Amino acid sequence: MSKVDKPKYTAEAMAGYNHRTAMEEAARCLLCHDAPCSKGCPAGTNPGDFIRSIRFRNVKGAAEIIRENNVLGGTCARVCPYDRLCEEYCSRCGIDKPIKIGELQRYAIDQEKIFKMKTLKAPAKKMKQTVACVGAGPASLACAAELAKAGYKVTIFEREEKPGGVLTYGIAPSRLPQAVVDHDIAQVKGLGVKFEMGKKVKAADLEGFDAIFLGTGLWGSKFPSIPGIDLKGAYAANEYLKKARSGAKGFNPGKKVVVIGGGDVAVDCAVTAKLLGAEDVKIVYRRTLEEAPGNMTEFQYALSLGIGITTNMAPAEVIGTKKVEAIAFDGRKKVSEKSGLKLEADTVVFAIGQGAEDVSDLVAVDTDDKGMIKANKNGKTNVKKYFAAGDIVNGGKTVVEAVAQGKAAAAAMVAFLEKGVK
Amino acid sequence: MAVKKDLSINYLGVNCENPFFLSSSPVGGNYDMVKKSYEAGWGGVFFKTVGIFVADECSPRFDITRKEGTPWLGFKNMEQISDKPTEKNFEFMDRLKRDFPDKVMVATIMGSTEDEWKQLAKMCDQIGADLIEGNFSCPQMTSHDMGSDVGTNVELVEKYARAVTSATKIPFIAKMTPNTKNMEEPARAAIRGGAASVSGINTIKSITNIDFENMTGMPVVNGKSSISGYSGAAVKPIALRFAAQLMQDPEIHRLCAAQGRKFEYSGIGGIETWRDAAEFLALGCRNVQVTTAIMQYGYRIVEDMISGMSHFMDERGYTNIEQFIGSALPNLIPAEDINRDFKIYPKFDNKKCVGCGRCYVSCYDAAHQAIDWDEKKRKPILIEDNCVGCHLCLNVCPVQDCILPGEIFWKKGRKKTDIVMKHDYE
Repeated sequence: MSKVDKPKYTAEAMAGYNHRTAMEEAARCLLCHDAPCSKGCPAGTNPGDFIRSIRFRNVKGAAEIIRENNVLGGTCARVCPYDRLCEEYCSRCGIDKPIKIGELQRYAIDQEKIFKMKTLKAPAKKMKQTVACVGAGPASLACAAELAKAGYKVTIFEREEKPGGVLTYGIAPSRLPQAVVDHDIAQVKGLGVKFEMGKKVKAADLEGFDAIFLGTGLWGSKFPSIPGIDLKGAYAANEYLKKARSGAKGFNPGKKVVVIGGGDVAVDCAVTAKLLGAEDVKIVYRRTLEEAPGNMTEFQYALSLGIGITTNMAPAEVIGTKKVEAIAFDGRKKVSEKSGLKLEADTVVFAIGQGAEDVSDLVAVDTDDKGMIKANKNGKTNVKKYFAAGDIVNGGKTVVEAVAQGKAAAAAMVAFLEKGVK
Repeated sequence: MAVKKDLSINYLGVNCENPFFLSSSPVGGNYDMVKKSYEAGWGGVFFKTVGIFVADECSPRFDITRKEGTPWLGFKNMEQISDKPTEKNFEFMDRLKRDFPDKVMVATIMGSTEDEWKQLAKMCDQIGADLIEGNFSCPQMTSHDMGSDVGTNVELVEKYARAVTSATKIPFIAKMTPNTKNMEEPARAAIRGGAASVSGINTIKSITNIDFENMTGMPVVNGKSSISGYSGAAVKPIALRFAAQLMQDPEIHRLCAAQGRKFEYSGIGGIETWRDAAEFLALGCRNVQVTTAIMQYGYRIVEDMISGMSHFMDERGYTNIEQFIGSALPNLIPAEDINRDFKIYPKFDNKKCVGCGRCYVSCYDAAHQAIDWDEKKRKPILIEDNCVGCHLCLNVCPVQDCILPGEIFWKKGRKKTDIVMKHDYE
């Protein structure tokens, strides 16, 4: 019999380091001359330097390095696919296994909170121009923080009640506790960024701003074109996670839950169901695990909770009369086309990516055929003073990439605004 | 079958089943503790120092040093000699000797006057102690008539050694303090006073850490602290140095020969493993004593000292310990006699190299800029013209056998000879 973990919905999946265990791990670091780990971080969080700070007993300095480079350092420490980024570049891989960089980052940020550090400061003298950021997700938060650090007055508009976007509404709290998200956002607020919450922004609201950043994310529900998706109990991942995360009263996915998809979001949905009390939870993916965009560590976590994973099965029909009763799958073409699968289900969740919502009522920026905003690597759109980055541009990638692109857009916006002064 | 070798050795005429003893300290302070240590396999005990003086101890009384994730690199203690009544201690030793006749009982004593030393020596006689050790070296006694203040005064060492050896025929070992510019002089004084052997080192006067909470040293006793003795792995190099210096002192050997005996030394200082113990033996020690490692890990560590030493002897074809005692001593020579005619270049194994560049950083910042760094391949390249063969690179490399000694280069005009070099690095 395998040992299956049964934690609570809000319990964090892993305990963090303390001073001693952090030092043990930091002592494993080879302190490379060229710190390839730092080159592996899209957002420039600079693990080579912050691990060295921990090693030389300067954890506050470590927290500063993280926070100055990545305003969402606490969040990224929890949700980054480390094994594909900094840790993949770690020289220690040549000896045994990489340094647990994410865990050390989490430790440093934990200490930042314990010591009530205020690392980021906005200059007292403000620039004349104002900036608006639409959406309060990772890209917008990173962009707003950079602009505030440069002395600009920034307002974030967010239609939801709470800031954070996907961090607050789209990730299971076992992986990313709300307190961690709130602590990161407190740093942005500490820079004087104004948050206009629960406000669905209109074009008129943006008129007075000198530069505008669009970080609206992907919130359009995506379903496959199969029969039965309208049945009660069939959800898109975003609405399902939001319901669970915002604690919608009495939200109960039932005893049998099937999640369709192969990304981290699919795992989040399955884990959420399991932690909310579902007995039988399965993830079904249309391709192989090797082809899946999700992290192996996340799949392993799902397995540790007793969640089953089935591959090479594509959804064919959601079955039920008034509500979902089952879901049928066809085997993958050319691999197992003679196979089929029918699973009983109280809830079916489609975690197959999210779609773009129409932004044309805000501004007439160019979009591609999927509705993604066309912007260059510095976030420039075809419309003057409008910049965009994050999921709405890249089609849905990692938090750390959204941070990186938000930062890059902020740099371009500063350059744009400075030109305006002259 | 597990490899087992004859580890027995004669120390000062007493047959010891092995050379591994508890040193005079908290680890051997009563009957039950010593009984348990005997059962674990220790060859004998230097019982916690007994005096007429009964210690009044402070709390807390210990501190440690650490490096990164490694605790107990060194250990500081503020304990003095036994805090139990003198008679009680002798009663423990008496019972232990009767119940474990094959184990070696060394009574460690400390007096503050000639009479006290004599009185204690006679009490050792009565309980049939195998050996007596005189503690001239505890650095944290609250009385300055005792401990390392005595051990650094050659007249007092000789006088008190004579007091003991005039009162009993049991061989006497004088325990030396390292808190002195040289140990040869007090050791010679002890032997002149009749001591059969010396042991060392006792702990080194230290301040391990400053506590910023109370702005004092560690441990914090009511907001204050004191300088006191440092021991553990960190002090082993210093202990080995004193062992070698005493073993190589011609005057000590001459004084012992005049008394019709060979000089015997008991090594103490940072011993945790069979390997540490073997190092002391290779310098000529006939007995080794352990405390700090037992405080950290318990008596059970002797199991791996016995087994590990047996495997070491098996590998090298030794059938008894005598065969390698002192074997490293002739190879420790004065700096002026070291051959300086050549240098050995390091050899980099590019297949093993993980590209961390530590060799490059250290060579540039702390040596001779003799390593170039290939940024693309992330590999070091030796610049032979600049390399002095210091092997700093070998010592910072985190990968086993990645950097090893390579080619020998002879300085201009020097005569080539056969060079003995090291090949195996752990």
